[in-house]
Amino acid sequence: MRSALFKNCFVVSLMLVLVAPAQAKGDDFNSVVKMIEQFYHVKHESIPFLARAGMKAATTAAKLKGGTARRIAEAGSVKLAVFENQSFEYDGEVTQFRNSLNAALNDTWTPFVQYLAPIDKEQSYIFLRAAGDKFNVLLVTIESKEATVIQITVSPANLALLLKDPEGMSKAITDEATINDQE
Amino acid sequence: MKLLITKSKSVLMTIACISAMYVSAYAQSPRIQLTSIEHLSAKASQTVDVNIDERLIQITAKFLTDPDDAEVRKLVNNLKGIYVKSFEFETDNVYSTADVEAIRSQLRGPSWSRLLNVDSKKEGQIEVYVMLEGEKIGGLAVLSAEPREFTIVNIVGPVDLEKLASLEGQFGIPDLGIQSPKSNKKKNEDQ
Repeated sequence: MRSALFKNCFVVSLMLVLVAPAQAKGDDFNSVVKMIEQFYHVKHESIPFLARAGMKAATTAAKLKGGTARRIAEAGSVKLAVFENQSFEYDGEVTQFRNSLNAALNDTWTPFVQYLAPIDKEQSYIFLRAAGDKFNVLLVTIESKEATVIQITVSPANLALLLKDPEGMSKAITDEATINDQE
Repeated sequence: MKLLITKSKSVLMTIACISAMYVSAYAQSPRIQLTSIEHLSAKASQTVDVNIDERLIQITAKFLTDPDDAEVRKLVNNLKGIYVKSFEFETDNVYSTADVEAIRSQLRGPSWSRLLNVDSKKEGQIEVYVMLEGEKIGGLAVLSAEPREFTIVNIVGPVDLEKLASLEGQFGIPDLGIQSPKSNKKKNEDQ
């Protein structure tokens, strides 16, 4: 009887161990959005509201480049959450959010670039992980009044461009995510 | 009881030996540990952290197909990692000598050599170290300590020093104004 109980407990524990990381991996985008909401006491907004503003910016950007902006994200892979006109003030140490974010993601994601500028009230994070023969890019940007969480899938060629020029490409990803997701 | 004490001593000796071996191996690694200066993020007005491991570098080397990137591709091809940590401060002397020493002490191992003939166009102290593996360069560390900036660039793997400057401004590596040993030598000859 005791042996059977022990055996059942072992099987349940084993299942939990095997299932938990898979669930965490699949739902990291939502976890990060929730983490921002809880940490800063803010709420993310509906996308259509943002899309109108994004569309205008994108058209201008494309015109400036002299043509259509290049597509970075794989089709249908864009996940986007936006926080607008909310306060991202935090009284504690500036590194506290970064530490929480790293603790939540470091098992499955590689932190590529992390940028903190507390005086300018800016934080940017780029995390990467393999997704078959492609890669997931998770981009978190927090400013004093707004924040964006973007997850996209990119080809290795576009990942190489992101590695070479993290600043330029992360801006391009943000532009694209706030435009093409609504097309 | 005597046997227990003897056994404990031998266990402690074994642990000490393993620890010494570990520390020795760790000290010889071309990868510099930067966790000791992590606390500076809380005092800095800007912190930049870049981590590119070998797998990501291989992707870069394989998929950067633009002809303009040929030199960069060649340069990063055999690298095993690029790590950057940079702090900017609002006032002077926010970081301490101990913070700089925490990095420098890792570069005092027998495999590391300080390159004296590489200097910076900018003001401030820039030290460039290379780790030699036989006759080849196995890693590089750039330590830039200015009154309001503290930057460490650590490149793991064989680096071509002549082309090092072409990596500046890319892969999150800041523009430190590093001149190659050759151009530096030429400059000295011209003067």
